[in-house]
Amino acid sequence: MALTFARLKLRVLRNGFRGRPGKVILFVIGLLSALFYGVLAALFFLIPFVSNAPDWGAVIPAFAGTVLVLGWILMPLVWFGVDETLEPGRFALLPLPRPTLLRGLLIAALLGVPAFGTLLATSGLAIGAGVAGGPLPALVAAVGVVLGLLLCVVVSRAVTSGFSRALRARRTRDLAAVVLAVLAASLGPIQFLLTSGAQQVGTERLTAFADVLGWTPLAAPYVVGLDAVHGDWAAVAGRLAITVGTVLLLMWWWSSSLESAMVGTSAGGAVRVRAATGAPVARFFGRARLPRTPYGAMVQRELRYWVRDVRRRASLITFAVIGVFLPVVTNLGPSADGNIAAQSVHGGSMVLVGALAGLGIANQFGYDGTAYAMHVVVGVPGRVELRARAVAYSWYIVPLLLALAVLNAALRGDLLLLPAMVGTLFAAYGTGLACATHASVWAAYALPENQNPFAINTGTGVAKSLLAMAAWFAGMVLAVPVLLLVLLGGSVGAALALPVGLAYAAGAIWLGVLTAGDILDHRQPELLAAITPRT
Amino acid sequence: MIPDSAFALQGLVKRFDTKVAVDGVELAVPAGSFFGLLGPNGAGKTTTLSMAVGLLRPDAGRALVLGHDVWRDPVRAKSLIGVMPDGVRLFDRLDGTELLTYQGLLRGMAPDVIDARVTELLDVLALTDAGRTLVIDYSAGMKKKIALACALLHAPRLLVLDEPFEAVDPVSGAAIRDILTRYVAGGGTVIFSSHVLEVVERLCSHVAIMANGRISAVGTLDEVRDGRTLEDAFVAVVGGRVSTGSELSWL
Repeated sequence: MALTFARLKLRVLRNGFRGRPGKVILFVIGLLSALFYGVLAALFFLIPFVSNAPDWGAVIPAFAGTVLVLGWILMPLVWFGVDETLEPGRFALLPLPRPTLLRGLLIAALLGVPAFGTLLATSGLAIGAGVAGGPLPALVAAVGVVLGLLLCVVVSRAVTSGFSRALRARRTRDLAAVVLAVLAASLGPIQFLLTSGAQQVGTERLTAFADVLGWTPLAAPYVVGLDAVHGDWAAVAGRLAITVGTVLLLMWWWSSSLESAMVGTSAGGAVRVRAATGAPVARFFGRARLPRTPYGAMVQRELRYWVRDVRRRASLITFAVIGVFLPVVTNLGPSADGNIAAQSVHGGSMVLVGALAGLGIANQFGYDGTAYAMHVVVGVPGRVELRARAVAYSWYIVPLLLALAVLNAALRGDLLLLPAMVGTLFAAYGTGLACATHASVWAAYALPENQNPFAINTGTGVAKSLLAMAAWFAGMVLAVPVLLLVLLGGSVGAALALPVGLAYAAGAIWLGVLTAGDILDHRQPELLAAITPRT
Repeated sequence: MIPDSAFALQGLVKRFDTKVAVDGVELAVPAGSFFGLLGPNGAGKTTTLSMAVGLLRPDAGRALVLGHDVWRDPVRAKSLIGVMPDGVRLFDRLDGTELLTYQGLLRGMAPDVIDARVTELLDVLALTDAGRTLVIDYSAGMKKKIALACALLHAPRLLVLDEPFEAVDPVSGAAIRDILTRYVAGGGTVIFSSHVLEVVERLCSHVAIMANGRISAVGTLDEVRDGRTLEDAFVAVVGGRVSTGSELSWL
């Protein structure tokens, strides 16, 4: 039965590639980079087994393993989404026992580029254990590696399905409530990094820390090989038990959330019909002071959609979390003094986050799906369309960025840094937005028309994310001049950073909208075809 | 210049990979006609209409709306037609009033005109009761009606409707029929695709039958029927198989 699922998944993948050479090429690029980084990481994992400093050894598998598992938890939320090629809902009508279905979906989830890369990377542990301790430790390490992969896959499934349920629970739920909840949830890790980062990091602290990590599910499966080499079988048993227990627990959680995914997403209970009052146009715009033109209408619709569409809301929220998390961590690292290296780290984090903020619209047409046909039928000019979308998105993002800058300046205890920070941040946002606007016209992709905001289609997801990643990178590179002005310009540069940064951003967005808009005028039907899900 | 055909398709071709979906469609829809485009599933009706209104780029051929080429002069051509595509989502996280108002504003209509027409359209189509229910929570029939309202709002000279009677209950169907009949009586032109033959027979002045990406029969309703019922004519043109009654005996 499980084999059937595996074959089905491979078949769906293959059919998706049929007659789409571009998609195949991008998939191969994804595969090759997984291969490259997988081998690189495998060599890295070999270090503790061949190194001459054995007491230092557990640090690498513990930390690298933790990063890997955290990556599997966070990446789907932030970036790639989950591969929902085999969507649970499609099996609802088949007489499949729950365990069979779960097993099948798990097998299908294991067949993918990320899982392959993870397996390749961690296989270095088994090889290393074999080299250092013979066949038995190698076997133990291999068991750990497989369990670790299972843990990674199951945790990403469980977390995304749990998260998406929370987000779509009530269509009308206040955006702020969710943001607060997520922020509260991420306070833990922030505090954790705060306390560990604030103190001077020494080797003995690192090993102690690695010891603790080794007894959490985050790193337990990756440390067993080393234990086996040292002959510490009690530890091996303990860590394996922790891992198996965690996997089972997560499976149970995933299984229970599967239920709601299969029963469907029809709104629970009767919808209360509220009467519409007032003149249609006045009601459409509400209190917004927008021109009563196609441009104003699109801005208003986009403003509504960023709140009403679960996918867009999820994207805004995840950016808010990452945006707070990233610069806070870099700002509170050990290098809080004023040398140029530390300053470039802080400035760099601003550029990173600013460009990332712009990336939110990299698949803005994909969010709309076939509804975009209305704009094609009417023949909306490309420049107007893109300008409206950029303005509406910025309406939500700009206050967020400002708050971020204030938070960071406050955390570093120097509000005089604020103008330079805002300047860098906004310059990067402008260039990032401009690049993402182009990406949205060139590299739009269809999102499946189901309710999971993190679901993406196989192949295209990873492949198009690479293009979005390229847009992000381009956005960062283009913002470097403003960063250099801040870093090298001394007090003059700091004073100029704000006006220059803002002007830079405005110019970048203006240019991006103008050029991408002209392209859009000639690509409307193609764009529509790209964002139409193939059924 | 007043062209005698409101809508003209000349040699439209569309290939998907190796399959030819539409293979040189020629069609002239006379001004003021009520034109039904018939065909079995997969005949290429939706593909043809999509190319005709600018949703899908044809590999060859032209589409003219009142003399304006949809692909060369899209701004002018698109302002003259109202379109209701099939299998396409609406901006369904707006409620009905918002969606219609949005459509009106996109078309660049004056706010007071929008106010008047939106209220009247919702009233006629019995959608006022839905209030602030989002379009995503509408039933299939209500979605069809609101989509039709979107196509009608700017009072176009030509209506292109893809499967307007699919998934519509009899009451809503009657309402849609009344509106379309009145629209044609007022000088407008309608072309719609369907495989509900009785509706076509009751409403249309002209009919075209499509099969395998080509127009197989075209003319006024009586010309195409040629003394038969429309169903017989349809099966004869498309080439349906005749059941002997011996299949599926296990049922």
